[in-house]
Amino acid sequence: MEPTHLPATNFQDLAWAILLLPLVSALAITLGLRRNRELTTTLSLSAVGIGFGLSVWLFFLYGVSGERLAATPLSWMSVGSLSAHLGLTVDPLSTLMLMVVTGVSFLVHVYSTGYMEDDPEYPRYFASLGFFTFSMLGIVLSDNFVQTFIFWELVGVSSYLLVGFWYEKPAAADAAKKAFLTNRIGDFGFLLGILIVWAATGTVSFDAMAAKLKAEPGILGAAASLAGVLIFLGAVGKSAQLPLHVWLPDAMEGPTPVSALIHAATMVAAGVYMLCRVYFLLDLPAAWPAALSFLGSISALDVIAWTGALTSLVAGVIAIQQDDIKRILAYSTLSQLGYMVMAVGCGGPDAAMFHLTTHACFKALLFLGAGAVIYACHHEQNIWKMGGLAKRMPVTFWTFLLATAALCGLPVLSSGFYSKDAIFAAALASNRPVLFGIGVLVVGLTTLYMSRLVIIAFLGESRSEAASHAADPGRNMTLPLLILAVPSVSLGWLPVGAYFKSAIFPGAVTHSAEGFSDVFFEPFNHSPLGAFLGFGLMAFGLSVAFATYWGAAMDPMPGHLPRLSRALRNRLYFDEIYAATLIPLHDAVAALADWVDRWIVQGLFVRGISGGMDLFGRALRLVQTGNLQTYAFLFVAGVALVVLLALK
Amino acid sequence: MSTLSLLPLLPILGALVILLVPAAYSAAWRGIALGMTGVNLLVATTIFFTFHVGIGGYQMVANHAWVPAIGLNYHVGVDGLSVGLLLVGALVSFAATWVSSEIKSHERFFYVLLLVISGGVLGSLISLDLFFLYFFNELALVPTFLMIGIWGRGADRSAIAFQITLYLSLGALVALVGLIGLYALSGANTLDVVTLAAWLKTHPLPASTQTVLFGLLLFGFGTLVGLWPFHSWAPAGYAAAPTATAMMHAGILKKVGAFALLRAAFPLLPEGVAQWTRILAILCLGNILYCGWVAMRQRNLNLLFGNSSLAHMGFVFLGLASVSLIGITGAVLIMVAHALLASLEYALSGHIYRETGHLELDRMGGLMRRMPFIGAALVAAMLAGCGVPGFASFAGELAVMFGVWPTLPAFVVAAAFGGLLIGGIYMLRGIRQVAHGPDVGTTGGDVPCWTGRIPYLVLLVPLILFGVAPYVLVDRIRPSAALVVERALLKPSPAAPAAPAVAAAPAH
Repeated sequence: MEPTHLPATNFQDLAWAILLLPLVSALAITLGLRRNRELTTTLSLSAVGIGFGLSVWLFFLYGVSGERLAATPLSWMSVGSLSAHLGLTVDPLSTLMLMVVTGVSFLVHVYSTGYMEDDPEYPRYFASLGFFTFSMLGIVLSDNFVQTFIFWELVGVSSYLLVGFWYEKPAAADAAKKAFLTNRIGDFGFLLGILIVWAATGTVSFDAMAAKLKAEPGILGAAASLAGVLIFLGAVGKSAQLPLHVWLPDAMEGPTPVSALIHAATMVAAGVYMLCRVYFLLDLPAAWPAALSFLGSISALDVIAWTGALTSLVAGVIAIQQDDIKRILAYSTLSQLGYMVMAVGCGGPDAAMFHLTTHACFKALLFLGAGAVIYACHHEQNIWKMGGLAKRMPVTFWTFLLATAALCGLPVLSSGFYSKDAIFAAALASNRPVLFGIGVLVVGLTTLYMSRLVIIAFLGESRSEAASHAADPGRNMTLPLLILAVPSVSLGWLPVGAYFKSAIFPGAVTHSAEGFSDVFFEPFNHSPLGAFLGFGLMAFGLSVAFATYWGAAMDPMPGHLPRLSRALRNRLYFDEIYAATLIPLHDAVAALADWVDRWIVQGLFVRGISGGMDLFGRALRLVQTGNLQTYAFLFVAGVALVVLLALK
Repeated sequence: MSTLSLLPLLPILGALVILLVPAAYSAAWRGIALGMTGVNLLVATTIFFTFHVGIGGYQMVANHAWVPAIGLNYHVGVDGLSVGLLLVGALVSFAATWVSSEIKSHERFFYVLLLVISGGVLGSLISLDLFFLYFFNELALVPTFLMIGIWGRGADRSAIAFQITLYLSLGALVALVGLIGLYALSGANTLDVVTLAAWLKTHPLPASTQTVLFGLLLFGFGTLVGLWPFHSWAPAGYAAAPTATAMMHAGILKKVGAFALLRAAFPLLPEGVAQWTRILAILCLGNILYCGWVAMRQRNLNLLFGNSSLAHMGFVFLGLASVSLIGITGAVLIMVAHALLASLEYALSGHIYRETGHLELDRMGGLMRRMPFIGAALVAAMLAGCGVPGFASFAGELAVMFGVWPTLPAFVVAAAFGGLLIGGIYMLRGIRQVAHGPDVGTTGGDVPCWTGRIPYLVLLVPLILFGVAPYVLVDRIRPSAALVVERALLKPSPAAPAAPAVAAAPAH
């Protein structure tokens, strides 16, 4: 469907305002308001708050009616066949995502007014948060690859600024650097993928590209699958998929509300969102260039689906033996992102977006809850030093519990149940039973590590002095928890899945669950196998967790399964393997280049020449010259030669 | 007289005035230098915004015969290739003059030389006669050698000054041989690019001659830009140079070499283009990959900047090697952006050196805390240096990669690796070492007041503005780049009138 180009109507103004408000607030804070905390708070909260209000308006004005609009673009750069502009696309996909991003961002802003209250660099924090929100919205609204790439990089930069917010702490500074560089590996592939599709279609605009592809399905030729995989590589970086997932757990060094925003609901979701936006490029039959022809009939979607499934499984396993509350949630995020990516690969971008939406709510809630716990326990992050928090922090506990239920996929009473079920259904529908099996198995793992977390941190007796004095934080921090709990429970009762189906596959006949009761019981009709197996594994995970951790003073697993436990605690040695192979290899190449430069290029070459010139200079010194004169002589000689030749 | 002539004239006039002001009024020296570069900045800004967008040819032209016997004209004009460089040339001159308050000895001589560099660079950028282009470039080069020797840093600065002199003189000499060859062999009896272009269109040189001449110009002018493997003068030279000299040379003077290739070699010698671009593409990977790797190993901030700046020049050469509209537009865009970026980097490192007395990375850390403004500007510059969008350099590098992709995709893979990854690694490691982490230093502080921020802001703000709206530059560059590409890809028409006989005669 071609987007309707309308004259300047209000949708444009709305979309521009949503995009630019956080930037304006970030700039104003950076340039002038650094010393004024009240004004900083008012400005950044209202920028994102108004943005959320406008997003809701935009959603009900255009999103639900399925309209596809494109704002008149602003020029960025246009030369030859490269025409890159700053455009905004307002369609069902972007409008819902706008609500998610601005909504979570707003709640995180509110929460941060409490969490970051005592930080001397409070204004810089809010400026960075605003800049991040702007960058993320740029990806959501983008209608072309160049713009997506620009904001993609800006999201990387702003997350660098936020993860490294406490830059004086070496661990935070290192984590920020690692996050940025790991993302850059993905961006490297992403850029090459963009170049391939641009060269083949002559455009970077999504709509024009889709139209070209529709008119001429084989336009990408033998590069089709390669392009798909390279574009996917961008998402592997941003959405922290195997093998580039290593940055996300480290990025927990940033302030906790930042993790709720960028490591749960937005930045890491950008990869999945981008895959759904360009799904028409991924859903192509397998075709590889001659050099890669051994890959045969493996399509880009196959690569995507398997990457997602493995990430989901591996991260779920690692999470079982983490002791840091934020790291458990980080690995859980990896695992859930793996689900979303797997869903895209299984031909279910709508299921991926559905899960992205529910996950944004309940995972943001989990991170904010973890933040409340950390705040209450005086920056203690080890769950073995918490305990008994349920009694002392009831609001935090109950909201955390609801979000945990959603994460585990508790039937009917949680949004996660519905969105996960859509993913399982997609895996079955695409005839990938192994992936379906992995998906269901991960439900068991999820329940295991989350129950472990809840049992140790919240139930039982206090395990430390700090935990015994813990209390719920102030209202500006509990209110966001309560608000997020609502969609975490109930979002699945709305036809979000069907909405995304018609958003991504416009005009496709959808198996529709229209009425409330239809939607309510959808999973049981949809894929009863997934629903019941998932429930069974959930019960199993829960009982294992209770049997192992109820009343345990310390983790029994290292005692029973020492090797496995050690491997998991060392995150399956991914970082160690990189630190022992790729990084030193690249450093060695650099060292070699440096050596050559020092000793061969500068040493022999330059000294050789200068030795020769020295001789020449000595000869010239006979006629009383120094370096400058030598130079002047050469110059004059040259000019004389011109004149000579001219007059000849 | 064309407004353009003011650009070299004002600084050189300023230099003469400073020479006449007695030492009793020494405070006036700096004032005159600042005044002249400031007025020049206004002139260049006016030129930039009165420039007619969408015209590929020369504007604001002035042409006076100077030595008719040898076809030497004072011929000046501005087109899309030079208009952006003129603006940033004036900006860099102004900023470099401002930060020179650190100079405490032989100030008169310092400001005279600085103004001569400025006048020389701007003069070479407006020259349409290659003789003047070359002459002005030389005029700007000589003072840099002297400045490194006199006001430079480090015990071995004389040796380094000698090395850079040798290197650049040899490069210039090779280029000069090429220009003389062009003059002598073309039979046009002039080095005026307009006349020469028209003449060579109907009287093309034999392919072999073009190949030789192009090679001479490529390596001659290439050396001035730091084309691998003739690059090693640059990092050491900039590390030893006083702040203003490094800013002028790395920022704008170095670009003249690449600019001369676009003025002379590419449009005039299409056969040479066809022969050499492949080799150029290979060599520029030396800049992008090899110099990038070398940068990763540097333990001195200025050596890091020097090598990274060579890597950026690799992208310029890669754009040239594509001989495509997008690629060459991107190359010019990088030249403009990098002028701002490189001079900003050296201005910042100059402040740090002045405050802390060294630039050793291993002894630095936590600068953000002690120098919030300088630290933030440094982080911005280093992010710009690893290709972050929002800075003009990103737009240029992106355009180069798009422009090169259709013809040389494998080179783009290497360039993207170099730009995104190697660049990212050394710049982020640099930030981590210098700006982040616990504060290790005990001495030194930020710029004291808001006026102290001006030289950094006049470089950083345009770098961001052109990054947010690169079309302001691209729309100006594009038509002229299109002309270069058209001429560089021109195949000699078979019906060309007896030209080879004329042209070939002196060759044998």
